[in-house]
Amino acid sequence: MKLMEDRLNRANKMRKMCSRCIMDTSAINIRFDENGVCNYCKEFLNRSGSMLNESAAVKEERLLRLVKKVKEVGKGKPYDCIVGVSGGVDSSWALVKVVELGLRPLAVHMDNGWNSELAQNNIANLINALGVDLYTHVIDWDEYRNLMQAFFDAHVIDVELLYDNAMLAVNYQMADKLNLKHILAGTNQSTEGMEIPSNWNWYKKDKKNIKAIAKQFGSVKISSFPAIGTIDYLKYDLIKKIKWISFLDNLEYHKESSLKHLEAHFGYKRYPYKHYESIFTRFYQGYILPEKFEVDKRKVHLSTLIISGQISRKQAIEIIEEIPYASKQELEDDKEYFLKKMGWTKKDLEQYIKHQNVEHSVYGTEIKIIQNLSRIKRQLKKIF
Amino acid sequence: MLNHRVIPALLLKNGGLVKTHKFKDPKYVGDPINAIRIFNDKEVDELMVLDIVASKEGKEPDYRMIELFAGECFMPLCYGGGIRTMEQADRIFNMGVEKVSIQTAALEDLGLISEVADKYGSQAVVISVDIKRTLFGGTKLYRSATSDTDKENWKTFLTRAVDAGAGEVLINAVDKDGTLSGPDLELIREANNELDIPLIALGGVSSLEDIRLAVEAGASAVAVGAFFVFHGPHRAVLITYPKYEELENLFINEINGRQTK
Amino acid sequence: MDNQIKIVDIGIGNIASIQNMLKKIGYDSDRIVEPTLKSSNIDLLILPGVGSYDYAMNKLNDGGWSDYVKELSSDKKVKLMGICLGMQLLCDGSEEGELPGLSLIPGHFKKFSSNGGAERLKVPHMGWNTVHYNEKGTWMMEGHIDDPRYYFVHSYYYTHPESTYIAGTTGYGVDYGSAIQNGNVFGFQFHPEKSHRFGMNLLRNVLKQLC
Repeated sequence: MKLMEDRLNRANKMRKMCSRCIMDTSAINIRFDENGVCNYCKEFLNRSGSMLNESAAVKEERLLRLVKKVKEVGKGKPYDCIVGVSGGVDSSWALVKVVELGLRPLAVHMDNGWNSELAQNNIANLINALGVDLYTHVIDWDEYRNLMQAFFDAHVIDVELLYDNAMLAVNYQMADKLNLKHILAGTNQSTEGMEIPSNWNWYKKDKKNIKAIAKQFGSVKISSFPAIGTIDYLKYDLIKKIKWISFLDNLEYHKESSLKHLEAHFGYKRYPYKHYESIFTRFYQGYILPEKFEVDKRKVHLSTLIISGQISRKQAIEIIEEIPYASKQELEDDKEYFLKKMGWTKKDLEQYIKHQNVEHSVYGTEIKIIQNLSRIKRQLKKIF
Repeated sequence: MLNHRVIPALLLKNGGLVKTHKFKDPKYVGDPINAIRIFNDKEVDELMVLDIVASKEGKEPDYRMIELFAGECFMPLCYGGGIRTMEQADRIFNMGVEKVSIQTAALEDLGLISEVADKYGSQAVVISVDIKRTLFGGTKLYRSATSDTDKENWKTFLTRAVDAGAGEVLINAVDKDGTLSGPDLELIREANNELDIPLIALGGVSSLEDIRLAVEAGASAVAVGAFFVFHGPHRAVLITYPKYEELENLFINEINGRQTK
Repeated sequence: MDNQIKIVDIGIGNIASIQNMLKKIGYDSDRIVEPTLKSSNIDLLILPGVGSYDYAMNKLNDGGWSDYVKELSSDKKVKLMGICLGMQLLCDGSEEGELPGLSLIPGHFKKFSSNGGAERLKVPHMGWNTVHYNEKGTWMMEGHIDDPRYYFVHSYYYTHPESTYIAGTTGYGVDYGSAIQNGNVFGFQFHPEKSHRFGMNLLRNVLKQLC
């Protein structure tokens, strides 16, 4: 019996849910049409429908063009591209495919002190079997913990902004260092294409926000933590022309069959849900988000899978009625471990959960730049 | 079937996991608690945590950390570094640590070894010796806390330590540390000839084959540092440990040859 | 039913690890420092043990524990579990010491002979080894298909003219009883609390025996 807490289940049932996917009123700005279909899945289909429904031939052609380009750029260099690996299925599949296509990647991993054994095992098996070199960036744990503590003290929702930002930074930095132009990432439309509600997340390149929170709560000095801001990103993308490519969009990506293949041929061990390669990420998505912020990120993940035809709505609903853990004991385990790593008591956690939430925008942020950029981009699109 | 233990050896410095090269240049590897948790999840035979600055800097063992480590280990845990008194040892054993490794204190006076062995049994005390090779290939007893060599012959020292009650010997080949260049097999053979008690060999292991060779040379158990923590040409931090079947197969000939049931 | 798990804490065993593993599988436990708790408040009494035989027996005798434990064992609803030296203390005696044991499980302990066999046997028996359970030990083995392995560290092994009380055996120079049982009293020569999922599984099986 691992049903969600009554309180959370009741709250869920009180919300209005899309009739096609499972996004509901916990998502900001959700709207339903006369058939009860929401704007989130509509927008996803509009934006990616063409890509999702592309013929294999079109994908293939785009893929081959990309591979050719990567090989050209990498000629004579020890590696021709970067593949960020986390131990998760998306990046693992990307690595397998990249090698299959004859490319010579450097696998890059970011260690923030929360790696699960599954992640290490999966990465090790993969790179050994594929003969791929690995680079790991290790963030000083004390420094990272202090940064996390600052984010907890700030009561902002996106604590994972730290990891996501660092991961982007490390990948770009490595590409830059090796004079490469292609970061072939496991990000993709078919399993994560639906837009994450803006109240569930924060802008991942907001270096200013990270620094502001770090400074305000504990004066944390940033040294081994690699941060990337909008301007840094623009420099990498537009000037150095280092491109972040959602590699799996160029393939027929079906998560379950990829998983089976990885399990059969690479000793891969699968996880219950996305992002469970990090113990903190699984605790954050499985406990902190629902309990403190009343957000269940599985809704957007599963909704993406519903729209891309990989899971039924009924299955998705069954899944979210249960806690995102294999058992209550595992949740307790993670909780204990989290308290141990952060040096918190049970009471500290309770107080954190109960405390009022604060918007990221309350602290210094680059969000205005991004919004202006989007506006400029849109206007440019109108003109051209 | 009794397998030879393969023991990840983790070095601690100021609360962080580090890896040294020939006992110098400690490089930060990450959070020890997470590393230990991962090793535990991999069901390693046993684990060794050695604080490399405690004795050097005359500091107390970091009890809070040790307690956290012990809580993550569902296999035997050996702790070494800065243990000079019975009270310290008591405190550490109470936290769930199986064995203590003693070096600096023993070099001055073997009394602590006897005290711990009397109360907790010999199997709870590991005498740790670091051996450095001279320019001419000879071996010298090395004192890591003061980074110099000791005059006493390491073999006589070991004999005295065993007489005092040590139940296991940890031999650390200083020149092999962090080099991934293979264990010092001659050193292991020499040490094995002197000893009746289990010998743990540490330093230089770079492959499963090295582990087998160390055992063949007489090690009862093999401790491994860099090989389980680094991967590839960029020494990328990646925690690994052989699968149980791999270890079983590695020693199968050993066991058959020895007729141990 | 709330399992009342008590661990004898008289400074002769590693209690923290046992409590940690019990916690990991979802059970709380208490240390008891005095032999006063009524049997109705105990479902499982754990006797851990590390160190030397006489030292431990003296502690048990002096503290009034010996009589207490013997009396407790007569209440069949209470299960008594000895670990390592704790198992040895439950029996009649050991070559290691002069004092008699609690005699709750018939048997005597002999020292491993380091001169027997073709190869010098290293003593203590230290490391991972397997236990082969017989029909008596079926409940201990539940959940495993192959012989499980556990961590051993001891110099003395169980002997008895008959194999009546032996539920599981291990080979180290000789084949000896590594898991023994006499009704509601049982003992394990190895350390379940240091044996990963094998130990966890065994403890789960022990807890299933309660009530």
